[in-house]
Order: sequence, then C-alpha cells, then structure tokens
Amino acid sequence: MSVTRAASPAVTRRSGQKRRPGLFGPGMVVGYVVVGLYAVTLLFPLYWVVISAFKDKFDVFRTPLTPTFSAGLANFDFVWTYLEAGKALLNSLYITAASLALTLVVALPASYGLARARGRIGGIVEKVYALGFLIPGFAALVPTLLLAIAVNMYHTREFIILYLSATAQPLCVILLTQFMRTVPSELEESAVIDGASRWQIFSRVYVPLVMPGIATVAILQFISYWNEYLYTLVIAGAQPARRTIQVALPTIVSGTGNTNYAQVCAGTVISIIPVFVMYIILNRRMEDALIQGALKG
Amino acid sequence: MTTPASAPTRRPRHPARGGNGALAAFTVPSLVWYLLFMMGPLVAMFVIATLNWGSIAAHPKFAGLANFAKLLADERIGTALINTGIHLFATLPFQVLGAFMIGYFLAQRPPGHRIFRVVLFIPALISTAQLGTMFSVVLGPDGLVNGLLNLVGLGDHMRAWLADTHTALLCVILVSIWNGMGFNAVLFSARLASIDQSIYEAAELDGASHWRRLWFVAFPISLDFVSVMTMLQFLWSLFGSAALILILTEGGPGQATSTLSWLVYRFAFGVNGSPLIGYSQAIGILLFLLGVVGLVIIRRFIKQRY
Repeated sequence: MSVTRAASPAVTRRSGQKRRPGLFGPGMVVGYVVVGLYAVTLLFPLYWVVISAFKDKFDVFRTPLTPTFSAGLANFDFVWTYLEAGKALLNSLYITAASLALTLVVALPASYGLARARGRIGGIVEKVYALGFLIPGFAALVPTLLLAIAVNMYHTREFIILYLSATAQPLCVILLTQFMRTVPSELEESAVIDGASRWQIFSRVYVPLVMPGIATVAILQFISYWNEYLYTLVIAGAQPARRTIQVALPTIVSGTGNTNYAQVCAGTVISIIPVFVMYIILNRRMEDALIQGALKG
Repeated sequence: MTTPASAPTRRPRHPARGGNGALAAFTVPSLVWYLLFMMGPLVAMFVIATLNWGSIAAHPKFAGLANFAKLLADERIGTALINTGIHLFATLPFQVLGAFMIGYFLAQRPPGHRIFRVVLFIPALISTAQLGTMFSVVLGPDGLVNGLLNLVGLGDHMRAWLADTHTALLCVILVSIWNGMGFNAVLFSARLASIDQSIYEAAELDGASHWRRLWFVAFPISLDFVSVMTMLQFLWSLFGSAALILILTEGGPGQATSTLSWLVYRFAFGVNGSPLIGYSQAIGILLFLLGVVGLVIIRRFIKQRY
C-alpha cells in the first residue's frame, strides 16, 4: 500500500499515531459494517454480470452465485457479431478521440487568454463559463437535435463531435485556466524580451508547462465522451454504421421478454472493458482527474 | 445571440494592456462555440414551447401559451411531478448525507480504506447505458434478484421488479443510489482530507466521538461544499433521470416511473404515443423552473454559518 502514503503525505504524516486510538471506537466499527455492506452491494451485481457472461442462459438463473463457465466464450462470440461490436467500438473511438482533440485545440488557447486577461471582462467571461455548470445537458436535447437537422448534420457522428466539444468547454477552460495561472509571469516576460509572439509564448512556453492539466482534462473528458448515451442515440442514431458501443449495448435487451440474460451480460462486459483497462493502467491519475473535475465543477 | 459578438468589440477599450485584443482572439472561438451550443438551444426551447408542433416532419404553428394551459390540465404531469418528488427526496439524502458519512469514514484512513475507495469509485466509470442494461437483467424475471430469492427458498417473492407497479419506482431509486453514492463519498473524502487535522485533534481532546466529530466538526466546516454537491446532485437527478428510465422502464408500467424528465423525452420522440415536440418543450420549461426554484431553496437552507 505504498501508493497511499505517496499520494497524500500531508495527512498521514502527523496525525497518524495520534488518531490511532480513536480508529477502532464503536463509531468506526459501525463505519466498517456500513461501508463494507455498501461495497459488497456495489461489487455483487458486477460479479454476477461477469460470471453470467460465461454461462448458458439457464445456468444464469439456476446457479446465480457460482461461476460455471458452461457457455465458454459462446456468448461473447454471439454478442460481438450481433451488436457489430467491432464497428461500434471504432465509432466510439472515433467520436471520443476527435472530440478530445477538438476540445483541447479550442479550450487551450481560450484558457491561456483567460489566465492572462486583466480587468473586468476576463472575470465576466469566466462567470459565463461557470454558468455552464448549472445548465444540465439534457435540457437542450430537442433543440440540439433540431440544430443538427437545420445544419444538415442529422445522423452524423461529426455533429456529436462538435456538440460534445462545445459542451465540455466550461469545465475544460476553467480547469486549464487554473493550471495556466500557475505559470510564473517572469517566463512570459523573458520570452517577450526574446521577441516571441503571443502565439509562440502560448505554444512553446505555456502548453508544455501545463501538460499535467492537459492530462487531467483529457482523462476526464475521455470518460465522459466514451460514456455519452442520450445525445449520441438521438442525433447519431442507432444504425449499426454510426452507432457507438453505448448506443449498441441496450439494443440486446429485448422489450418482448425473451432476452437472453447471458448474452446481455457478455455485451455489458465487452462495453465496460475499455474504460476499466484505462482505469487499471491510470488508476490514481484517473481518480484524481475525476475528483478534480468534480471539485472544480 | 448577441453576447459573443459584443464581447470582442468591448475588449480593446483597455488600451493600457495592449495585449488584451490579442488575448480576446484566443478566447473568442471557445466562447462563441460554447454559447452557440449551450445558450442557443436553451433560448430555442422557449420558442418551441409556444408552438403547436407534432413530429419533426410536421409544420409547426404558433400556439401562444396553449401548451402551458394543456400542461396544467394534464394529469400525467401531476403523476410525473409526484414521481419526480419521490425520486428526489428518496435519493438526495443518500447521495449527499450518506455519501458524506462514508466520505468521513474514508477520510480517517482506516486500514483498508484504499480498497474501499477503489470499489466506491467503480460506478463513476460505468455509463448510463451500461447501468441501465445491467440492471434490466439484474432486476429482470430471470435475473440476479429472483435467482437469489429462489436459491434461498423465497421463490414466492419473485417478481418482475421493473414491470411491477409497486416496485418499479423503488428500483429506479435504488439503481440511482447504487450508482451515485460511492463517487460522491470519494469526493467528500477528498474534500475532508484537506481540512486541517488539528481541528479534529482539538475535538478529540474534548472527548468527542467520531459521530459527534462527523456532525459537529466536519459537517459544519464543509457546509459550502455540501451545498454545492446538493445542488449538482439535485440538478442531475431532476434532469438526468430520462436516460436511465428509457432503458429500464420507459416510464412504465403505466405511469409508475414516469418523471418530468422522462416526459420531455417521451413527448419529444413519441415513445408509446405520437410525438408532441412543442408540448415536450413546455414540460422542459417547467423542469427548468423547478430547477431554478430548487437551487434557490438549497442555497438558502444550506449555508455556511460563519
């Protein structure tokens, strides 16, 4: 558990031995029980989904707790073809990567401008961005759909890319502005003396220095773009050629009641894997990114 | 859409900082883009709400406030209001107060807290589509819950949880809590970890138990943050329930899980009926007003006291 100590030395350091006695008071025991139960409630359905994905459809109900592997990889085989999952994953990747690139290309200069702006207008602009947090995305679903139709981009992935990177601007610009503000202004001044233009200062001095901020924003937006559902469903549509993995997945649940649960579980596993692999690799960084994104928002 | 256009022209008024004009050029594309996609549709919503407009292919006619008059007389709206209220009042205490308690527990860094943190973080990685798909089988007739009941000999209590009028809304509530509480707890713990430890130590010297320290020290100190979290969670629950309901129940059985947010979607796309776009947006405006009122109330009642 060396990760823990490295992560926040400030907290563990001093209070460690002082607080120890209180740690096992009755309050903490109740805490363990409650949080433990909640953790089990969180993991249990996931466990069930994973083991069910390898079962035949009758075993799912008959032996809910034990992994039987009675279907091997057959469910995955079926679902992969049925959902055209390869195509769907590529569509997800295309939308996510393009939106990310576009988001950063637009948000980075904007946050540089804001971080260096003086006077009232900078403050006002920042407030306008902050307002964006209070506008729930869902409210604008229908008007956004009409906009897509009006500009002749209904049923295109490209409109989703434009939309996603637009709505990410408030959070990204505000987060990046905070990172930009930590760059000492002496660096900028000496660059000016060397005859650098604004753009050069931005691209050669600021961008390299705020790389950690860019990584945070990228991780944060990767998850939110990859997981987007409703707008992509409504605007890009559910046709196999354009749908993302999120839009494809719910289509295996049949409304008529003859759903094959094992296949649904296999589909869920396939769709969850990419983000979980990312999480296993980035672990702490991903947590920090999501926490930072939420705390700033 | 005059805001983005007027912003750049006003900038050069600060001639003292010669660079401000150039800086504006850096910011304007992002600002215009954001306003176009976020403010534009919001304004459009108010216009569409005054139209008599069925499906997208139909021709809209101006209808004044007819949609709003219809809204007042529609009993589906009343049902949805009640469901929305139940959903909010059942989830918010868990999402905020429950999460705060767990956050406090994690912030004490008890042995094993790192594992708890990872587990509690997992729902934040799961999308709404996955959440809905997963729980439609967990709660389905041949799913996990019924399988367990059957296993322990309580087969009589098996039912189609999402298709039963008595349990459907409860299921939507539980799934919302399952999904939201853990990540909120991690957020609260991150916030609580930044509190100066000497405050706790002073309270501990006074013999305050964890329970008292939680509610009389940590909670009052974090009240501002609690207020922000409550507001965000409130907005998310109020507006965001449509996607989950679309996958889990489509508002049914009957009107059992029909929330206002769901009705906006239902009338816009004509799920179980023909689309009424104008009417859907009138409901959207009602939702919007409720959001504003809710925010004002939360802001007023949860306030830092010192």
